[in-house]
Amino acid sequence: MNYDWTLWGLFILLGLVTTLPRASFIVLGERAALPENLQKALRYAPAAALAAIVAPDIFVAGGELTLLSPRLAAAAAAVTAALLSRNPWLPFIAGMGVLWGLTQLPLA
Amino acid sequence: MSPSFRDGLREGFFGYLPLSVGLIPWALVTGLTMAGVGFTPLQAMGMNVIVFAGTAQLGTLPLIAAGAPVWLMVVTAFVLNLRFIIFSAAIARGFRGVPAGARWLSGHLLTDGAFAHCLEKMLSHEDPQWRLGYYLGPSLWSWLLWQVFAFCGVMAAGSIPRGWSLEFMATIALLVLLVPMARLRPMLVAALVGGGLAVALRGMPLRLGVIVAIICGIAAGFAAERWRGKDLP
Repeated sequence: MNYDWTLWGLFILLGLVTTLPRASFIVLGERAALPENLQKALRYAPAAALAAIVAPDIFVAGGELTLLSPRLAAAAAAVTAALLSRNPWLPFIAGMGVLWGLTQLPLA
Repeated sequence: MSPSFRDGLREGFFGYLPLSVGLIPWALVTGLTMAGVGFTPLQAMGMNVIVFAGTAQLGTLPLIAAGAPVWLMVVTAFVLNLRFIIFSAAIARGFRGVPAGARWLSGHLLTDGAFAHCLEKMLSHEDPQWRLGYYLGPSLWSWLLWQVFAFCGVMAAGSIPRGWSLEFMATIALLVLLVPMARLRPMLVAALVGGGLAVALRGMPLRLGVIVAIICGIAAGFAAERWRGKDLP
């Protein structure tokens, strides 16, 4: 795929919205504090967001829900590797291995 | 550079050095993925320098590849970095007496690893110069590692044929981040609700379903924690 100059505008926007949360209280210092309940709720943001991004990638193919796809098998292999081993490379080797095995090899 | 800044820098850097190795696979994968969605090396390194946020980069790359609307990518990146508001609030007291410019730089450089490593001494040490050094040592080192190994990933991707679905490495990376979170029950609830709704609501216009899914996931996790009557550690 080719991208035009607007991609750089996107990078700057992404840089801004990712830096603001990081810099927020470090820059504000003692002048501000976060309500406790909000702090607690915010702890769930990464888990909810990661799952919301990943799930359609794994369970949807061509707009249809699918429970049997190379991507789902590859994701299952990667999660299994992550659960069983602390080796940071293994989930990628297992996941991409399964994906390539199921999509690249000519099946007789 | 005052001597106490240099002392802090040295102590922070050498303490963090062994831990920083864990960054390398992430940087490589991010580099491979950026090349996988079709970025030129210049575009990839531009994103890597300007954004400098691994999870947000990996999270937005599938959306960029799918041609999703800009606002969705911006909201997604923001939500994925929301956790840093908590980290930033927790470590803020460690920057008392540090000038504003250095605070902005420190904020931009905040990473999960640097936060975890620096928090305790940042809060307990008296000298602001020492504290700033102690924080910037690991943080600047992380930045350097991130750029160098992302570049290696971008270059390595050139020798891998197209059609090998390198962009799927972003999905795997996000799953790997999700696995340890989901060991905690309320986190698992947040993830299941977020993921399930994102699939169920995929037909909503402008991909609004993803945002609805994330908000409901956060609410579900928070409700699950309340319902169990137990707080997370």
